[in-house]
Amino acid sequence: MLFKIAIKNLLGAKLRTWLNVFVTALSFFMIILFSAMYDGMREHAKQVTIDTEIAGGAYWHPEYDPLDPMTFEDAHSALPGDVQLLVDQKKAFPVLVSQASIYPGGRIMPVIMKGIPPGQNIVNMPTDALSGHDDIAIPVLIGKGMASDTKLNIGDSFTIRWLDTDRTYDADEGTVVHIMDTENFKLDMSHIWIPLKKAQTMLAMEGEGTYVTYEKGLPPVQDKGDWIPRDVKYLIRDMEALIEADEPNAAIMYIILLCFAAMGIFNAQVLSIFRRGREIGTLMALGMTRTRVVGLFTLEGGLNAFLAAIMTVILFGPLLWYFGNNGIWLGVDYSDGAMGIIVEKYLIPVYSVGLVVTTTIIVSIIVLIVSYLPSRRIARMKPTDALRGKVTV
Amino acid sequence: MGNSVVTINNLVKRFPVGGDFFTALKNVNLSLEKGEFTGLVGPSGSGKTTLLNVIGGLDSPSEGSVTVLKKSLGETSHNERAELRRKNMGFIFQSYNLLPVYTVFENVELPLILNKVDPQERYNKVAQAIEWVGLSDKINSRPAMLSGGECQRTAIARAIVHEPTLVLADEPTANLDAENSHHIMKIMVKLNKELSTSFIFATHDEKIMDYLRRIIHLDDGQIINDEQIDRPKSGS
Repeated sequence: MLFKIAIKNLLGAKLRTWLNVFVTALSFFMIILFSAMYDGMREHAKQVTIDTEIAGGAYWHPEYDPLDPMTFEDAHSALPGDVQLLVDQKKAFPVLVSQASIYPGGRIMPVIMKGIPPGQNIVNMPTDALSGHDDIAIPVLIGKGMASDTKLNIGDSFTIRWLDTDRTYDADEGTVVHIMDTENFKLDMSHIWIPLKKAQTMLAMEGEGTYVTYEKGLPPVQDKGDWIPRDVKYLIRDMEALIEADEPNAAIMYIILLCFAAMGIFNAQVLSIFRRGREIGTLMALGMTRTRVVGLFTLEGGLNAFLAAIMTVILFGPLLWYFGNNGIWLGVDYSDGAMGIIVEKYLIPVYSVGLVVTTTIIVSIIVLIVSYLPSRRIARMKPTDALRGKVTV
Repeated sequence: MGNSVVTINNLVKRFPVGGDFFTALKNVNLSLEKGEFTGLVGPSGSGKTTLLNVIGGLDSPSEGSVTVLKKSLGETSHNERAELRRKNMGFIFQSYNLLPVYTVFENVELPLILNKVDPQERYNKVAQAIEWVGLSDKINSRPAMLSGGECQRTAIARAIVHEPTLVLADEPTANLDAENSHHIMKIMVKLNKELSTSFIFATHDEKIMDYLRRIIHLDDGQIINDEQIDRPKSGS
């Protein structure tokens, strides 16, 4: 009975109902979109790191610690048997890492110099730009952020100074052959990339590497010497920690959006009860118990949310689908790493089943609560006051 | 007491006003029989509406006892009073109090829905009630599309559709012109005759005095005169 009356009331109120439903649907849309954008941002950061840097994992020289440049000096050796075999089979590529200093425009700047095989296609880096420059002493690949910091352009030359294996300082001229536009600022900032063979020659470390990155889906090798296998999980642990540390922020964001939705529904309910005081009194005079009137208004709030969910699918579903496929243009380039996390230029929201189910359940519970809270005031209302439209909520 | 619909003994009703109390009804004693067509008449503030609300169980007495249809309202719960209204009473208000989003049919149907009458019976009763008040051609209209007289006729149909024993009407003609007022009253007289429904009106409208068979004059919360009028039950 209440359901039938509630449906009649909702559909009968026409514009008022649809405005309420639209506002609630907009809240649903914002909650789902913002949460999905947040998830998308984090997922994208991981994906970009894997695509451009990690691939299937790596074998590290036992001395190598990417966070301590002082270790680079000793973190090099010939590759262990099976690791070398992977490289020979083009299923992996070695990188030789060392400290260096560059002098762009007369300034000194410490950098991490990495030798990488130009022909590798295991990670998404434009390393092929390093090949075919026999006329250049040291062909150099840098990122857009680095180019901006150093004010270097393609064709610009600068001095590179490095410490070779004999602990002797050497210097030569590097020339920028390509500026890569990468979303992974870790490949960009303070990095110069040169051909592996050139790096091995410069450092007098022929046939050596600091780490080897292998393609996705490869099983662990047996003969890896004392080199340390690092799987994807390990290599993205910093990012996972960052994301985990960011969970409270995500939760706060989610709660704020939920609060907006709840306030919208609460406001609509309060307004509805305030406007419909005489109707409440009439229903009581006709013999509806207070509990049932409370139930009716709560049910109307619930149905409002249900209609809003349907409207979200119909009205905002295509928009969510479009953003999910094409991304949202952020309009800002964060490739310099100023955000502390990889942020893509086009943010692609990720709509997980968990997000949709959790949002639906949480929003439904909140809708029922915020529908009930103002409605329960009806239970304390005197029918004679309600009939006179004297309603305080 | 056999045919008594309403029995009131020493009723006092006070309302809090600021830190004090305003006494709206003072020591009211009254008995109404089944099938009566009674008016509570008096100037504004005389206590007519308050007395009607107390009889309808919408308000509770401060002192005294009120028995409606053999139920002592002082001893009943909110829900029991709601049930009493739902099954045995009909209300007609000065400003109609129709639900604006409902059609005439749906407004009249509401008491039957509340009484869980099955749909087929509901349809028949609503159609009959609407026919009684002469609104069969407006069955799908909403209150906003009706004149004042039509709205009040809809309210009457809603009040009598479940064939209550008692109908309480608060200033039912106050917002209507003379023609509509007479039309409305004739309908109620007809219903009183055909269904033996008791009607109690709160009114100060002279136009309807001619239809009443009992006039209870109220002033300053007290009954100052209780006048039986010898008028044939078929009305004027």
